[in-house]
Amino acid sequence: MTQATLHPSEIRLDDPAIFEEGRAHEVFRILRREAPVHWTPETENVKGFWSLTKYEDIVHVSRNPQIFSSERGITSFEPKEPDLNDVGTRLYGKMIITMDPPRHVRMRRLVNKGFTPRAVAAWEPHIREITNHILDGIAKKGEADFVTEVAALLPLAVICEIMGVPREDWEKMFQYTNQVLGGGDPEFQTDVPEELRGTPEGARQQINLGTAKMFQYFATKLAEHRAQPKEDLVQVLLESEVDGQKLTDEDILWFCFLLILAGNETTRNAIAGGLLALLEHPEEKQKILDNPGIMPIATEEIVRWTSPVLHMARVAKEDVEIRGVTIRKGERVVMWYPSANRDEDIFPDPYRFDVTRQPNDHIAFGIGEHYCLGANFARLEIRVMFEELFRRFPDIELAGPPARLRSTFIGGIKHLPVRFTPEA
Amino acid sequence: MRVVVDPDLCEGNRKCELAAPEVFRVGEDELARVLIERPPEELRAKVEQAARLCPRQAIRLFED
Ligand code: HEM
Ligand code: SF4
Repeated sequence: MTQATLHPSEIRLDDPAIFEEGRAHEVFRILRREAPVHWTPETENVKGFWSLTKYEDIVHVSRNPQIFSSERGITSFEPKEPDLNDVGTRLYGKMIITMDPPRHVRMRRLVNKGFTPRAVAAWEPHIREITNHILDGIAKKGEADFVTEVAALLPLAVICEIMGVPREDWEKMFQYTNQVLGGGDPEFQTDVPEELRGTPEGARQQINLGTAKMFQYFATKLAEHRAQPKEDLVQVLLESEVDGQKLTDEDILWFCFLLILAGNETTRNAIAGGLLALLEHPEEKQKILDNPGIMPIATEEIVRWTSPVLHMARVAKEDVEIRGVTIRKGERVVMWYPSANRDEDIFPDPYRFDVTRQPNDHIAFGIGEHYCLGANFARLEIRVMFEELFRRFPDIELAGPPARLRSTFIGGIKHLPVRFTPEA
Repeated sequence: MRVVVDPDLCEGNRKCELAAPEVFRVGEDELARVLIERPPEELRAKVEQAARLCPRQAIRLFED
């Protein structure tokens, strides 16, 4: 193919096929070299946006929330005529991830004590138990879809337990998350008419429907918690105050929505993408089998390598320059994490998957004001999963090609067939 | 150089302590303390490294 000669002006980073077909790294390599501040022009209904692909530029933007705002959404997508009923528009300014300082830090401080290294470490025995319970489910079969039967279940279980969602509702949460974050993929557009599946309108409707179901679910929870207090994060939020004011129900529902989504889809794809990388690099997998003690370091490399959040966006609050390019007030700036984490100026041999890589200052969890609240949970889940998986199924191997998610936001794997020697 | 940690931002990720143990210590409360507010020049590189790596960008350096 002639991909190598692709010109930056031919590249559109709103094209999910780049990611679905696994061509993203080829495209990012060209952009980092030829057009590190790159413009994807508008389409009929959607505004154009700037793309940043260099590590240092992404750190700079993340560090300056007073100039690069999160309030008007954190994805590359901005319709020219926003429909005020769409989730994508309604979420402006509503969740910590779409808030700017000073309100952002006040809201984040309501919950962050539950996410510090020490608080999270206390969950380890429980997370190990859940992991083994999940692995019991495939142990006798000798084959599985690693995504739906394993990788998706652990982050789902953990975030549900943090939020006090009972086991019988986990499946529901799984569906809603897929519908909201994977709503652009026809596979998850189950609530919209057949003829709309795979269209932008189908995606729009599915995402709105998935969101409505999630809100309805947690609204019922709030009522239950008011009638009978529980010990979970929803209760913490119900009792919290910011500047002497209790949170509104709406504030709390958006918080729940964010935590369920952010806690689910991301870690799922780090685990699935991590296994894929390890099976494609058997010598790296062998290093972990020989010495499971390297898992904390390997975990960082898995997160760097997979970078499951493909991008976050900001809106410029004033005219600013990056590498001599003028970004106008109101324009959208998109930070591509998989590219930052393969930046030749930061990482020696960036295309080498190396489970002993140190230092490894990847920014897959972002950096600064909005640094991933759940990073310590994600790390623990990934580490424990591979410790237990390789302990029980050391000969696990691919049984077919992965199916990737059609999205420019989440680097997802929908299905990953594997086989292994079943347990007796 | 003068070093300050913003306690509103710090979440005890300990990157600072690893980069410059002479200057930062994370306490029982999971907040970083500055042990030497005006560290000597020879620690500058380590302190700058800590500030760069802090996930929350909670470390501020002043040249006053
Ligand atoms: C490998 C897994 C994960 C990755 C790659 C990831 C990535 C990210 C990134 C890049 C951001 C920064 C957003 C920005 O700068 O605009 C972020 C924020 C966030 N993440 Fe994660 N995340 C992961 C797992 C989790 C988990 C498990 C949870 C919850 C338990 C979580 C909850 C959040 C929340 C609440 C925010 C918003 C923080 C804020 O705005 O202050 N994430 N995540
Ligand atoms: S690295 Fe930053 S967030 Fe972590 S303990 Fe040090 S100052 Fe706090």
